Amino acid sequence: MDNVILQVNHLSKSFGTHEVLKDIDFSVSKGDVTSIIGASGSGKSTLLRCINLLENPTSGEILYHGENVVRRGFNAAAYRARVGMVFQSFNLFNNMTVLENCIVGQVKVLKKNREEARQHAMYYLEKVGMAPYINAKPRQISGGQKQRVAIARALAMDPEVLLFDEPTSALDPEMVGEVLTVMQSLAQEGITMLVVTHEMAFARDVSNRVVYMNQGVICEEGTPAEVFGNPQKQETRDFLARFRNN
Amino acid sequence: MDKLAKLVTDIGKLWANYSGAYFTGIQNTLILAVAATLAGCLIGLLCGVLNTIPYTKNDHPVKRFFLKLLRVLIRIYVEVFRGTPMVLQAVFIFYGLPYFTDGAVAFKGMAGIWTAALIVVSINTGAYMAESVRGGIISIDPGQTEGAKAIGMTHVQTMVNVIMPQALRNIIPQIGNNFIINIKDTSVMFVIGFVEFFATHRNIVGVNLLYFPSAVIEMVGYLTLTLLASFGLRWLEKWLDGDDNYELVSEDSLAMSAGTYSHPSRKTPFDENSKEFSAKAQLEKEKRERTRQALKFGRPKGDR
Repeated sequence: MDNVILQVNHLSKSFGTHEVLKDIDFSVSKGDVTSIIGASGSGKSTLLRCINLLENPTSGEILYHGENVVRRGFNAAAYRARVGMVFQSFNLFNNMTVLENCIVGQVKVLKKNREEARQHAMYYLEKVGMAPYINAKPRQISGGQKQRVAIARALAMDPEVLLFDEPTSALDPEMVGEVLTVMQSLAQEGITMLVVTHEMAFARDVSNRVVYMNQGVICEEGTPAEVFGNPQKQETRDFLARFRNN
Repeated sequence: MDKLAKLVTDIGKLWANYSGAYFTGIQNTLILAVAATLAGCLIGLLCGVLNTIPYTKNDHPVKRFFLKLLRVLIRIYVEVFRGTPMVLQAVFIFYGLPYFTDGAVAFKGMAGIWTAALIVVSINTGAYMAESVRGGIISIDPGQTEGAKAIGMTHVQTMVNVIMPQALRNIIPQIGNNFIINIKDTSVMFVIGFVEFFATHRNIVGVNLLYFPSAVIEMVGYLTLTLLASFGLRWLEKWLDGDDNYELVSEDSLAMSAGTYSHPSRKTPFDENSKEFSAKAQLEKEKRERTRQALKFGRPKGDR
């Protein structure tokens, strides 16, 4: 159990009277690549946003190395610097160049010196294939390129876990591949990732753990072989069948 | 036709005798408008930023109380100074303060008049700017804030580095609006004896009764000032937006830098000997080589 980074216990979240997450128990260990799959509105994104404290859970606890992050007075900023996030809508800073996007967090939050931060940013920008575009502004590059920069920005903070919130859902089909390739190479390097996705091929082939969510609860979880090859629940079978037919 | 000729002669006569006075008026108008717009922007910026500090139910009750109180106070300030005529505010402050303090605090002499005028126009502009700044801040996509939070920025860091640069760019048209309004509306400061461009007119026609010719000079003068301000602001906006083009980092520096950035705990990404990059890395490398060649041989700059 030493390797557990995040432990979610009895997590619930309601928006008004609508209960989006119901009593979620769940954990992330070092090196895990976990895919969260499920229909739209099943609470996948909300779970991810709760983990990064972008949403306040209604009840339950989230332990980060045993420390509860859902409590008054917790330093959310310092915690978020350790838990990176990549968004569906990229959320690159529009007032900065590609390179600045990857530097600013290191300089302002991690207090690195600029040159060191630049080297580090370049390492990751090169890795995601965006090094030639370091002087471009976000509005000047394509969606797939934006998402690759967003991944480099998150990686440049050297996070312990990287959360992906439907990273390819806002992309044209031909751009999905370039982002998934980057994510696959990260997975091979052993970076701990938690990925909310509709890309079943990614969930099946890249991740080592799959969580199927349905109507705010974790319906089934296991290895890709278990969940895709031999689903135990009827809901999971129905959901996967719909994907196979498409 | 002879009316026009008469107008020209009258204007000529006025200009010959009073051009110095008109210019002093213009000068005073401009100084007051510029200073008050700047001060007003600072007040508005402060109010707008304080007004948008977020609080959640996880925050300490004392903090929440003060933030709510702050919002109420700013709201009152904005409503009062936006909802009453500036000419009345001038009278209110210029005569009100000495009245209440038995003359201990009074605006004496030219310096006093300048101070009072500056205070009134500034806080009036501030009230309008407070709302503009608030609007500028909330108009920025919440995703920008989330992106900043997600890399661990605090609220202050997010505001300084991400939100305000974008919000300020968006409210420049509003600042321009207020500046042009101030050039014109500082004319009401004549009620406290401030001699700006319009008050100059009043003084001059009081002597020679050439109301209309002087008004023509005033009209042309004000329009010139506001048009110049307008052009200047447009130019500023264009300059701030910067170049629409960007250059791909040239082939040389790409060739020099490829694989030279290394992670302290891992190997360089494109080193074919590193174990995690085997056949796939080779493919990737070839692809990059093709890109490099494409860059080298005449792919237009800025093309993606």
